[in-house]
Amino acid sequence: MASAKNKSFSFKVVMLGEGCVGKTSIVLRYCENKFYAKHMTTLQASFFTKKLSISGSRVNLAIWDTAGQERFHALGPIYYRDSNGAVLIYDITDEESFQKVKSWVKELRRILGNEVCLCIVGNKTDLDKDRNVSSEDGERFADAVGAKHFETSAKLNTGIDELFLSLCKRMMEAAVVEEQARMNDEPCSGFARRTLQIMDNDAEETATVSSGSCCFSG
Amino acid sequence: MCSLRLYPAQLQHTMSQRSERRGIHVDQSELLCKKGCGYYGNAAWQGLCSKCWREEYQRARQRQIQEDWALAEKLQREEDAAAYASSHGSQATPRSQTSQTPPSLAPFSKFEEKKTNEKTRKVTTVKKFFSPSSRAAPKKDSHEAKSHSPSFPRQLSVDSERVSREFVEFLKNLQKPGREIHKQSRLFIESMAMKKDLGADELSECVQDFYQNMSDRLMSHFKGSSEKVERVMDQVEKYIMTRLYKSVFCPETTDDEKKDLATQHRIRALHWVTIQMLCVPMDEENPEVADSVVKAITDVIEMDSRRVPRDKLACITSCSKHIFNAIRVTKGEPASADDFLPALIYIVLKANPPRLHSNIQYITRFCTPSRLMAGEDGYYFTNLCCAVAFIEKLDAQSLNLSPEDFERHMCGQVSPRGPGEAAPWPHAGPALSQLRRNLELLSSLETRQQQVMDGAHSLQAELSSWQESVGREVQEILEKYPLEIKPHASAIDADNADSDLLPPPLQPQVFAG
Repeated sequence: MASAKNKSFSFKVVMLGEGCVGKTSIVLRYCENKFYAKHMTTLQASFFTKKLSISGSRVNLAIWDTAGQERFHALGPIYYRDSNGAVLIYDITDEESFQKVKSWVKELRRILGNEVCLCIVGNKTDLDKDRNVSSEDGERFADAVGAKHFETSAKLNTGIDELFLSLCKRMMEAAVVEEQARMNDEPCSGFARRTLQIMDNDAEETATVSSGSCCFSG
Repeated sequence: MCSLRLYPAQLQHTMSQRSERRGIHVDQSELLCKKGCGYYGNAAWQGLCSKCWREEYQRARQRQIQEDWALAEKLQREEDAAAYASSHGSQATPRSQTSQTPPSLAPFSKFEEKKTNEKTRKVTTVKKFFSPSSRAAPKKDSHEAKSHSPSFPRQLSVDSERVSREFVEFLKNLQKPGREIHKQSRLFIESMAMKKDLGADELSECVQDFYQNMSDRLMSHFKGSSEKVERVMDQVEKYIMTRLYKSVFCPETTDDEKKDLATQHRIRALHWVTIQMLCVPMDEENPEVADSVVKAITDVIEMDSRRVPRDKLACITSCSKHIFNAIRVTKGEPASADDFLPALIYIVLKANPPRLHSNIQYITRFCTPSRLMAGEDGYYFTNLCCAVAFIEKLDAQSLNLSPEDFERHMCGQVSPRGPGEAAPWPHAGPALSQLRRNLELLSSLETRQQQVMDGAHSLQAELSSWQESVGREVQEILEKYPLEIKPHASAIDADNADSDLLPPPLQPQVFAG
């Protein structure tokens, strides 16, 4: 991670999953630390930004919620085009939602290739007694497709910060690798329209910008 | 726009059409040109005919244009002076900046050559500036214009003039780099005028390359302060896209226009889709929600009238905000994407925004990429793209209808509303329903008042009858038991102590002890 020091990253992350698995709840918990949407003060709960400071680098996260209803499934590619990471969520009490995640992963890999960082998330661990998808199944599937597996509870606020932190770190690594590859391959043509803007940080903006509750230094 | 000229024959036609349509009685003399030349005048030309108007106002315009040219010339002179100085090695900065530009962007070869060609180049510049609009105009119109006034080139639109002025104003604050930016942008616009025959994708490529180049150079100039770069880039985008709008929006080389029409027909054919079929959590009965819905519809329609991609995006964002408000009022909590997308689809179906496909293509092709990729505006724009894609593919299943029902709706055999409440003016729907609600409220108030009055009357009647009945009863009782005063007889005769009725007098008892 040393090469990522003092840089600024912008990432786009899409939240995918069936309706009712808790996509919105996880984002809400992560960005607003609230579980009940009624308590929110913002106008909307579908697009969030979060600023992080990880290993001395600034990360701007744009989190895109997507419509999870089955009839909007075909619109997926429009949403996750140009995204750096995807969080695929299923409900541990609902086997079908896990199957849905599997089909999403296939689609994502087909369209975005291997660069996109995937997180597979089993939500609602607070309902463990009704569990229908075992941790091992989730873990095994995630390993097979090169994704990380997490289990979370938006209600109890467990596992969510870890999930996003790990995702950010992996996206940073991928970005650094990509940057280097780009430098090596085509030293002068910088016209590739990339989602990612990497620029060297100035001394004046060292530790000033990082929103209070979410400073990590790993 | 006022650069559109109408000639007497056309004018008469439009005027008569207008008066017919409006049904207003206008005296023939009021329609004629105020200068009395016998042609028809037009309110847009302050009552003058086209010819008199031009004579009257061309002078003022010409003066303004000359001022603009003077300003541009001044900038050019300053630029040349700087360039000349730099070519002699005394001032290195502008040169080093220009030398970075790729050949496609920098047709500035030798400065000496440029100086000698200055005069001729200027003339061609004028032509280039004016050519896009005049070429884009229908042939017949331009032919007529020529025959009428061969000496007059077509004017820049008001928008273009204003944006050029604003751009120059903005760049003045930046001083030297400002001049450089102005020059680059102008050269770019000129070079784009030559590339009119390119396909839309190539045009987009050119503009995006220009953005990338410009921002790279700005980035090195401002030493990585992305905020400043963003600000300048916004202005550059505004200037360039306002000027290029006519030639690159819905270009003839694409089938955008056909697709626009297809989308429009499609949305029109789907007019029967209701809020319930899409499961949109919006309660249109609520006046605040209805108000937000109307505003959202207005905003998404408004998008077509903007020229700069950023402004178009702002319309979409504003539309989305109104939708969020409507959902928030209905549900009592902020909208998630699950609520938002169906609502946006509903709004697009209701609004049927003009040239929707072209607008989306235009934004995708010519917006600065960073804004479109990750920003909030980009998110709403993506949702709009999703909404359009959904509408294009919409079938029975996506509305939870049976295929037969869907077909019947599409053929217009089933009316979306009950026959009783079919609104004759669909756009007045919210206002009408409000009116109807108010009328209902009034009539219910009236019946309630009637009830209260009835109740009061019956109470009054009851009261008086009660009074009567009480009076009668009292009378009856008085009659039944007349008051008789009997002579007084004392109950106890104190003197007659032996009376049997009285208990024996108490005797004192003595207890031993």
